[in-house]
Amino acid sequence: MQYKILKKNKYQDFVKGLIEDYNFIGPTKKDKSVHDFVPLNSIEELDTNYLKTTIPPAKKILFPPNEKLIEYEIGDEIKVKPVIESSETVLFGINAWDINGMNFLDKFFSKDFVDENYWDKRDKLTVIGMDTEPTENNFALSMDTEYATDGFDLYLHDLGDRYFVRVNTPKGNELVEKYVDFDDASENDFKDFDKYMDDYRAQFSNKVNIKSFYDNFEMIYNDEEFWKKIAKNCFSCGSCNLVCPTCFCFNVKDDLKLDLKTGEKTREWDSCMIPEYGLVAGGHNFRPNKENRLKQRYRCKLKTYFDKFGQYACVGCGRCIEACLAKINIAEDINSVKKEVNV
Amino acid sequence: MSKPKVGVFGFTGCGGCQLEILNLEDQLLDLVSAVDIVHFREAITEYSDDYDIALVEGSVTTKHGVERIEKIGDIAKIIVAVGACACTGGLNCLKNLYGLEKAKDLVYGDKKDWIDTIETKPIDKYVKVDYMARGCPPNRFEIVDVIRSLILGRKPEIPNYPVCVECKRNGNTCVYELGMTCLGPITRAGCDSRCPNSVSGCEGCRGIIDNPNVNAQKDVLEEYGLTVEDIMENFNLYNACKKIEQK
Ligand code: SF4
Ligand code: SF4
Repeated sequence: MQYKILKKNKYQDFVKGLIEDYNFIGPTKKDKSVHDFVPLNSIEELDTNYLKTTIPPAKKILFPPNEKLIEYEIGDEIKVKPVIESSETVLFGINAWDINGMNFLDKFFSKDFVDENYWDKRDKLTVIGMDTEPTENNFALSMDTEYATDGFDLYLHDLGDRYFVRVNTPKGNELVEKYVDFDDASENDFKDFDKYMDDYRAQFSNKVNIKSFYDNFEMIYNDEEFWKKIAKNCFSCGSCNLVCPTCFCFNVKDDLKLDLKTGEKTREWDSCMIPEYGLVAGGHNFRPNKENRLKQRYRCKLKTYFDKFGQYACVGCGRCIEACLAKINIAEDINSVKKEVNV
Repeated sequence: MSKPKVGVFGFTGCGGCQLEILNLEDQLLDLVSAVDIVHFREAITEYSDDYDIALVEGSVTTKHGVERIEKIGDIAKIIVAVGACACTGGLNCLKNLYGLEKAKDLVYGDKKDWIDTIETKPIDKYVKVDYMARGCPPNRFEIVDVIRSLILGRKPEIPNYPVCVECKRNGNTCVYELGMTCLGPITRAGCDSRCPNSVSGCEGCRGIIDNPNVNAQKDVLEEYGLTVEDIMENFNLYNACKKIEQK
């Protein structure tokens, strides 16, 4: 890691250079309540000062909601053509927990199998991080995701009159050398950066005791009442999954055209909270009730993948809390476990 | 294998579902080469009483309609209900809310005796419906999916999850957050969340999912300062028949 300083008066030229040269994806205001990451053509459209995005930016780019995987043709023989679409892209202004969410997806799409559709895009993605203000539901601090140590090329921390820049990769270094002059960080800059991080961390008001949830998970696992109570108002609408930066489940659809010769297979985001998810041939459903499904979701996020990857499949972004019309709140539920089991 | 013969039939409704089939445009030629369309009043002059698959639009609202749908039931091997009116009764069920006599009075006044009308019902109240391509208008690609699945002998993939799933896939801001009501959490998806996509609440035209959490929906409305009446007004638009049945 290298540490640099980018003066505020050089920031604009730096960003303009990136927009000029790359497929540049950054945050822009969508409506009164959210921002969205979209391809931008001018710096005027860029607004890095955002509070909420509905869909996590990295997931949207690397694992899009609908993605064509193959095209095929049935004739004397069956011809299959893989479809992989990617281009050199700069993802600008993604925050630390969303970078950590992407780091989780990186693991998921490479551990048991290497997903080429994901990795072709991932390898061509230059990630430039920036901190954003946490919402009141955000518990990233408790999940250790308010700071990214990996998964980005550059990270710009706004110290007020200058950016403290962490350069994490050779690709990031190329960009530092390409457009404007960056200065080396001095001892004073490091001091200011430490102070900045302390202040930044102080903004995270929502805290969870994830350790206690994890440790007690086996004990609550069979506590039906606990799960019933939490899931009572669940619509089984899947919103919590679909907005989550780490949810990776997908369903593959076969679309044979009416000529009955050509077709394609596409994948689309799936959700473990909807009843069909556990439905198998013959009509049996492994998770018929909403409380079964919610338990599965929490186990996947807060237990299974920590055991598997050493990283929770939850970065504490709070999106699922905000997306849930039934007000099901993973942070409150994590904290309720200690009370449930320790009394 | 000979091509299956398909008849397209219209009952009470606006005719828009049949139009959606014609709107398939670039798939139309493939469609007519995959199946033999033998009866389709909105598109061809021929009539036929010999068909394997019946695509039925509209709800049953007259005695004559009852006779016709029962005849279709006798002939067709497979019946597909197309569109909200055929699947749930649709808008036509609003009539039932008034009561027949009052509705006739309101609309036809002193000529009401000329009118042969009965309580509106979706077609599955008279015949066995094998598949439903829901919506107002139905998603024409879903109609294609149903036909293609029938040719291939597999089950069409009609979602039984709520519109929220498609809404999130489309990256929409929840319309509740924008101060509107929405039946999305309890309405069957498959429309690609087209109403929320253009920033307006779902009106439930595809009918309700199999296991809706209606109590939760009430809680949500309260949370957003809305009443059950607000939502019932929306709900009635397409699902009045269902409501009366539940009473
Ligand atoms: S968003 Fe809420 S209501 Fe919807 S499936 Fe998730 S927990 Fe249930
Ligand atoms: S489970 Fe909820 S809080 Fe955790 S990462 Fe997913 S959306 Fe964010």
